Amino acid sequence: MTAALECRGVWKSYASRRIGLKTLLLGQRAARTSRYARRWALQDVSFEVSRGQAFGVLGANGMGKTTLLSVLLGIVQPERGSVSLRGRVASLLELGAGFHPELSGRDNLFLYGSILGMRRREVAERLRAIVEFSELGDAVEEPLRTYSAGMITRLGFSLMAHAPADVFLIDEVLAVGDARFQEKCRAHLLEFKRRNGTLVIVSHDMEALAALCDEGIRLDMGQVADAGRIGELIGRYQTQ
Amino acid sequence: MAVQSLELLYLLVRKDLKVRYKSSVLGYVWALANPLAFAFVYWVAFKYIMRVEMENYSLFLLTGIFPWFWLSMGVTHATRSYQNNASLVKKVRIPRAILPMSNVVQEMVHFVFALPVIMAFLVFAGGFELRASWLWQLPVLLLLQFAFAYAIALALATSNVYVHDIEHLVGLGFAMLFFVTPMVYPITMVPEELRGWFELNPLHALMDSWRGAFLAGSLDGATLAYAAGWAAALAMVAWLVYRRLAPGIGELL
Repeated sequence: MTAALECRGVWKSYASRRIGLKTLLLGQRAARTSRYARRWALQDVSFEVSRGQAFGVLGANGMGKTTLLSVLLGIVQPERGSVSLRGRVASLLELGAGFHPELSGRDNLFLYGSILGMRRREVAERLRAIVEFSELGDAVEEPLRTYSAGMITRLGFSLMAHAPADVFLIDEVLAVGDARFQEKCRAHLLEFKRRNGTLVIVSHDMEALAALCDEGIRLDMGQVADAGRIGELIGRYQTQ
Repeated sequence: MAVQSLELLYLLVRKDLKVRYKSSVLGYVWALANPLAFAFVYWVAFKYIMRVEMENYSLFLLTGIFPWFWLSMGVTHATRSYQNNASLVKKVRIPRAILPMSNVVQEMVHFVFALPVIMAFLVFAGGFELRASWLWQLPVLLLLQFAFAYAIALALATSNVYVHDIEHLVGLGFAMLFFVTPMVYPITMVPEELRGWFELNPLHALMDSWRGAFLAGSLDGATLAYAAGWAAALAMVAWLVYRRLAPGIGELL
C-alpha cells in the first residue's frame, strides 16, 4: 500500500506575531504564562496514512489538532519537517467558508466549489446529485440568509462530498443536520473510503471516529501522546 | 494563471457586484453617483467660487476623477481584503493573490461601465467627437492602470495583515495624493520651481494619460513609458513582498 499522506517530524511554533506601529515604536511587552503560551503548537509530529484509510486525530481543546490540519492543508507553514500529500485534496475545516448570505444556494455552490478548487463545469455536472443529497429541493434557489443552520451545513457538506478528491481533511463537521442525515454522511464517507479515498478526521465525537477511522493519534500539548488502532486509542483516551 | 483561478476570480467579483447592488433600488446608478457628485462639488468650488481659468474644466475633472476612483477605491478596499476574507485564508486553500485582485477588478468593472457616461459628457457637454483611437488607447490604459493598482493593492494587503496601521495610512495617503497628483487643477498652475517635483509622481503620469486620451485623443509616449516603468517596479516590489510575507498570513488572521 502506498502512503497517501505523510507527515514527517513537523514542528510549528506560535512565535510569529502581528505587530502594530505601537509595538514597533514602544517595543513589546511579553508576559504569557497560560498553557496556550507554550512555544510549540506542534512538536515533532509524524505519521502516515495509506490510501483508502481513515485517520483520526484526538485530543482536548487547544492541543494542536486544528493547527495540524492547517499544516496538512498547506495554509500554515511548519518550521521544520515536511508534509507530502498525493492526489487532490478537499478540506472541510469550516463548513461554508466563503458562503454569502445574499446569494442563492445554487450561486453559493458554484462559488464554494470554486473555492474548493473545482471547475465550474465540475460543479454543474454534479449539481443535481449535490442538491439531491442535501435534500434542500427548491430552497436551493432561495438566498442563503433564509436557511436554517442545519440547511447551510447540509449544503456545504453535500458539495464537499461530491468534490473530486483523493484526500479529505475534516475538522469537527461531522455533526451535520439531524441524526438521519448524519448517518447518510457517514455512509457516504465509508463509501468514499471503499473507493480508495483517504480521510483525516479531527473530532470530539468518539463514536463517529470509531465508526469511520482505522488508526489515529492523540495530541497532547502539540506532541503525539499516543498512536495506534482507533478502538484501542479511544479506549486508552477515555480511561485516562 | 490557471483557468480554475480565473473562474474563482470571476465568481468572487460577480458575488461582490451582485451583493452590492441587490438590495439597492438604483443599483448601477450608485456606482456613477460617487464620482459624479465629487466632480460636481469640485466644479462648484474651483470653477464657480475660486474661478480657475481653464477651458473645459468640468471635462478635465470628470476624465480624471473616474479613473482616480477606480484606483483609490480598488486599493483601499483591497488593503483589507485578507481581513475581510479571513475564513478564505485560514480554512481553505486558494491562491491568496486573488483576493486583493478581486477588489481591483471589481472597481475596474465599475469604471468600464462608466465609460459610456464619460463619453456622453464629452460629446454632449464638450462638443467632442467619439474617437476611433480610443479603441486601442483605452485598453492600453486599462491594462496599465490595472497593473499599477494591483501591484500596490497586493503589497499593501499582504503587509496590512502584519501591520494594521497601513489601512489607516492608505485612506490618508489617497486624500493627500488627490491634491498633489493633481486632480482638481492643471499641473501648469503649480509654481515652476515645484512643478518638476510634482511631475515625478507616477500617478500624475497615469492620470495625465487618461486625460490626454479622452480630451485630445493622444497618448504621450514618454509619459506612458514613465508610468509603465513605475508599474513594472511596483510589480517587482509587490512580488517580493508577497513572496516573503504571504506564507505567514494564515496564522495571523
